Amino acid sequence: MNVEMRDTRRSFGKNRAVAGVDLQLGTGVFGLLGPNGAGKTSLLRMLATVLPPTSGEIRLLGRDPRGAAARREIRRRLGYLPQSLGYYPSFTVVEFIEYFALLKEMPSSAVPGAVAAAVERVDLGAKARAKLRTLSGGMLRRVGIAQAIVNNPDLLLLDEPTAGLDPEQRVHFRRLLRSLGGNSTVVVSTHLVEDVGTACSEVALMSAGKVVFRGTPDELTARGAGHEVGDAPLERGYSAVLAEARS
Amino acid sequence: MTIPNVPGRLPPALDSPDGVDLDRVWAGVAAQVWRRHPGWTERTAARLLRSPGLARALVTTPSLLMPWLISTVVAFGVGALVSIGPGQPLVWLIAPGVAAVGIAFAYGPGTDPAWELSLSCAVPDRMVLFARGAAVFAVNAALGLLASTVSGAAAALTFGWLVPMTAVSALALAVSVTARSASVGAGAGVAAWTITVLASQTASGQATAAATNMHVYLPYLAVAVCCAAVVGYATRPQREF
Repeated sequence: MNVEMRDTRRSFGKNRAVAGVDLQLGTGVFGLLGPNGAGKTSLLRMLATVLPPTSGEIRLLGRDPRGAAARREIRRRLGYLPQSLGYYPSFTVVEFIEYFALLKEMPSSAVPGAVAAAVERVDLGAKARAKLRTLSGGMLRRVGIAQAIVNNPDLLLLDEPTAGLDPEQRVHFRRLLRSLGGNSTVVVSTHLVEDVGTACSEVALMSAGKVVFRGTPDELTARGAGHEVGDAPLERGYSAVLAEARS
Repeated sequence: MTIPNVPGRLPPALDSPDGVDLDRVWAGVAAQVWRRHPGWTERTAARLLRSPGLARALVTTPSLLMPWLISTVVAFGVGALVSIGPGQPLVWLIAPGVAAVGIAFAYGPGTDPAWELSLSCAVPDRMVLFARGAAVFAVNAALGLLASTVSGAAAALTFGWLVPMTAVSALALAVSVTARSASVGAGAGVAAWTITVLASQTASGQATAAATNMHVYLPYLAVAVCCAAVVGYATRPQREF
């Protein structure tokens, strides 16, 4: 298992963002669904070793991230796209991806090839030497995805990766996700259920800091039978599970 | 040689003639063309620090405009204040802490847009901050040396503050890299600076001034507590994980 969480909790003052989550994930693409404020981003930040849990246990790639050496090893094999990607406007696309490849402690000799491959995978070859300040929001999102996958991570964490992508790029990205999920654990947090339906092998639905559903997209769809809220079958399943959790 | 600005993938008709993986070939060509050739400074820093990532952080420090401006103002401002009250050893002892807090704010969660991303990287964020600090003082010391040729005040500031702080921050960075611990590096920097200040004060017969002047105890303590609180707050998630 690349991800093991046991009764993981995270609070910010009196606000419980994550209220006891148990999760075990192997390879594959795992979708994390839920309304705003459900705790998806806090959960992802804990998996990215950016935010420590208030209580509970986390093991990533077989290691306990509380130890400095283990945390460093985890981070070498980790890819992370935060919800709001900050960037350095004066850097070019290649410089930005290369900078984070080096901070991930990739071997220097492997960096140029890995950067070029990552740029091509997100279809940004035409903008490789463009300054980040000249790029559109969707292109910046693709730069963020490229820096996340540049080290071929064993654990890839993507927070709202398709936000700002046009439909064509979204289709391309889902294909990329499926290929990445063949060898690694990919966790995608999103509120776009169509992303989950086409790209994810498994899905969890969070509400009020807890996982209220876990199964395949088909199983989530089946939960929506007879439910009227939602335009697509998967959306009806999503709404039905949420309504049940809230009641 | 430049690759024209065209999308990276070749048309399907040209894909894989004779079993050749054109995507891979293209990526190899692109890697060579887009490859950035590090300058002498970065190559040397990478060798010394045993980390190309830290070396890159070091040389890119001045290019991050807003953090750079804030850090430079802090470095020069603290140096100027220190120069005003040279008779107080504790001023000298606390001054690097104030400067470090300013630089940590500028290149930390305060204004660094990619801070969240940096936190998830293998090179510890505090080591990156050490590299940033060393770069801030080194570049400003170089500028100070230039200014020293025309101004006596600039020379005093440069040789009395910027150059020593460059040495101390470089020492802290070197020790943290060797010990693989930012805390050990910080301890080495503080120790070196304390020894230097106390030795120089002893040589001039002023070592007891700070201990005998009780009026300065409270302000010094307040500054020290504030610095510790700011650093502790700014770095709290990493400490607890």
